[in-house]
Amino acid sequence: MLIRPVADDLAVIAHYLGRILTVVAMAGLLPTVWAAIAREWRPLSGFLVMVGVLLLAGQLLLRAGPRQPHLGWSHGMVVVALTWIVVPAMGAIPLALSGHYANFLDSYFDAMSGLSTTGLALIQDLDHLAPSLNFWRHLLQFLGGQGIILAALTLFASGGVLTLFEGEAREERVLPSVGSTARFIWAVAAAHLVAGVLVLTLVGTVILGFTPIRAVFHGLLIFFAGFDTGGFAPQSTSLGYYHSAIFEGVTAVLMVAGAMSFGVHYALWKGRARSVMANLETKTLLRTFFITLALVFVGLATAGLYGSVAGLSRQGLFQVLSAHTGTGFATVPSPELATWGGLAFGGMALAMAFGGMGSSTAGGVKALRVGLTVKTISNQIKQVLLPEGAVVGRGYFQGSEQRLTDEVSQSVMSVTLLYVGLFLAGAGIAQAYGVPLQEALFESVSAGASVGLSVGVTAPTMPVLLKITYMVQMWAGRLEFVAVFALFGFVLSWIRGR
Amino acid sequence: MRRWLLAGTVGILVMAAAAPALAADEVSADELLADPAAFDGVEVVLEGELIGDYGFRPDGWMWTQLNGDSYGSDPVAAGGALTGGNSGVGIRMPEALGRPLDAPGGYRQVGPIVAVTGQWRFHDPARGGESYLDVASLEVVAAGRAIDDPANGLVMAIGGLMLVLGLASLATLRRSRRSELVRRQPSG
Repeated sequence: MLIRPVADDLAVIAHYLGRILTVVAMAGLLPTVWAAIAREWRPLSGFLVMVGVLLLAGQLLLRAGPRQPHLGWSHGMVVVALTWIVVPAMGAIPLALSGHYANFLDSYFDAMSGLSTTGLALIQDLDHLAPSLNFWRHLLQFLGGQGIILAALTLFASGGVLTLFEGEAREERVLPSVGSTARFIWAVAAAHLVAGVLVLTLVGTVILGFTPIRAVFHGLLIFFAGFDTGGFAPQSTSLGYYHSAIFEGVTAVLMVAGAMSFGVHYALWKGRARSVMANLETKTLLRTFFITLALVFVGLATAGLYGSVAGLSRQGLFQVLSAHTGTGFATVPSPELATWGGLAFGGMALAMAFGGMGSSTAGGVKALRVGLTVKTISNQIKQVLLPEGAVVGRGYFQGSEQRLTDEVSQSVMSVTLLYVGLFLAGAGIAQAYGVPLQEALFESVSAGASVGLSVGVTAPTMPVLLKITYMVQMWAGRLEFVAVFALFGFVLSWIRGR
Repeated sequence: MRRWLLAGTVGILVMAAAAPALAADEVSADELLADPAAFDGVEVVLEGELIGDYGFRPDGWMWTQLNGDSYGSDPVAAGGALTGGNSGVGIRMPEALGRPLDAPGGYRQVGPIVAVTGQWRFHDPARGGESYLDVASLEVVAAGRAIDDPANGLVMAIGGLMLVLGLASLATLRRSRRSELVRRQPSG
């Protein structure tokens, strides 16, 4: 029997949602100040409305909630699922008021894409966009990648908030408490921010010949989108804009750092590189990377798309890295990417679907799940082939020796299947609108795995239902389903419970 | 004399007939992007707005982007219609060609509209498989210009009011919670 939530449940959810909206409002002050200093009046008015709405809604919810509410598991999950619907809706306000979107849905799409670190975009005339708005688009990726919840936790860490942390698809606590883990994650981001922006700015000024201010602008935005595996770029031609192997190389380092779990960052910081390399997750990530890279190389070579090994290697490597880390930066224009058929297409689609490490900013099924899925299947096959009564080893190394129990196998397989279902559902809907299978599948995997590479299906002119489908895919894929199901369960209990 | 006249006429006719073949193909950015391989090594004329940055590199080349979409003539900020995403290609030219140009397009700035002639390099092996237009000559069709992006006074006023109300609400909530804490603390 479903139990209908009571008013207290709503009050708890309202309280935490209010806290998070207040934190996002504070973040929204950054582009507001930027717009005011740069005298970008139209964007400024949009930011004022957005921050005002966030603050008022946040305070209203905080006043509605109890003083020190106890946060249960389902409350936490519902808060997370709602956060990822409400924040992009409010974050879309300055985008919608900019005049660069045909309607509010398109700006909501971009805000959802930003926050979920996907990178698909419906913005029109990006190349004339105000810098403060461009900064906001990329800051959304930073907030989404680092975790809005994480930001709230850092400021308001209190009892019972672990579920919020887990709801945002972060199962791993690097340090004993959630608060200290949150602070460590911010420290990692801050260190990469300083180093990343500095190096990109240097490359921008010395090698690319940009003016210092523009080099800092590009460096900052590319850092946000690269380290948080988001994939937005300041210019319409994405990373192809820079025409520089060195710039791509620096960005690639940031993408890889973003796709690594914060547990790995911690282990590396503590000098435990050997232990990291022994992890099933690391091994799986390396294997899937090299397999998909080989597929793309062979596919491109067979199709004769590149006349030189250097060209094929540089473009193929960067695109696979961009796909596998879930970033979505492109050095190849969408119409050209659409011509990557056969093995190259297969390699790219698989790389996007596999994704990075768990508890990182990357999306996709994630390396550990892929590794455990393969191990589960191989164990099953061994069990059938070996004599009756033979014992199949179920151990694996992930930080320490672990045992692949039936429960773990079931959980891993379920999430993997859910991702496959999500990719197929999105592709099916696109196909219903006449999009060819290959392109439909590519775009669907890109949306569901929070990647952002596009073969041209995502456009302001695409059907409304397809836009909503991709938004749902970005939302569910980023939260790895649990919080989404918790929200559906909550709503269902509200409607049908007693 | 007659023979010379005839030879001259024939010569002029041959040159006139050959002229279109010798002249570079006029293409749009959309055409180039739709089938970039077809134009590999072909000399083309491309017209559009220079946008983003002028990257003057140590090797003497200047890199920038040329957009062939409608926003060069009708940018959104100046009330231009939304016609989809940008349509741009990377171009490089000798530094001397780029130095005298007006500022590139961006926010509140329409870059110079130029007609550039050059060779389309598709997946250039010398540049790690990049595709771009190698510009040999450039003609400025329209100078760059600044554009205004005026604020909507009403939206600004509403936004300002909401921000003030929100901040005031945040301050009162914090004050009331702090005084509540003080009341709860045991006296003495």
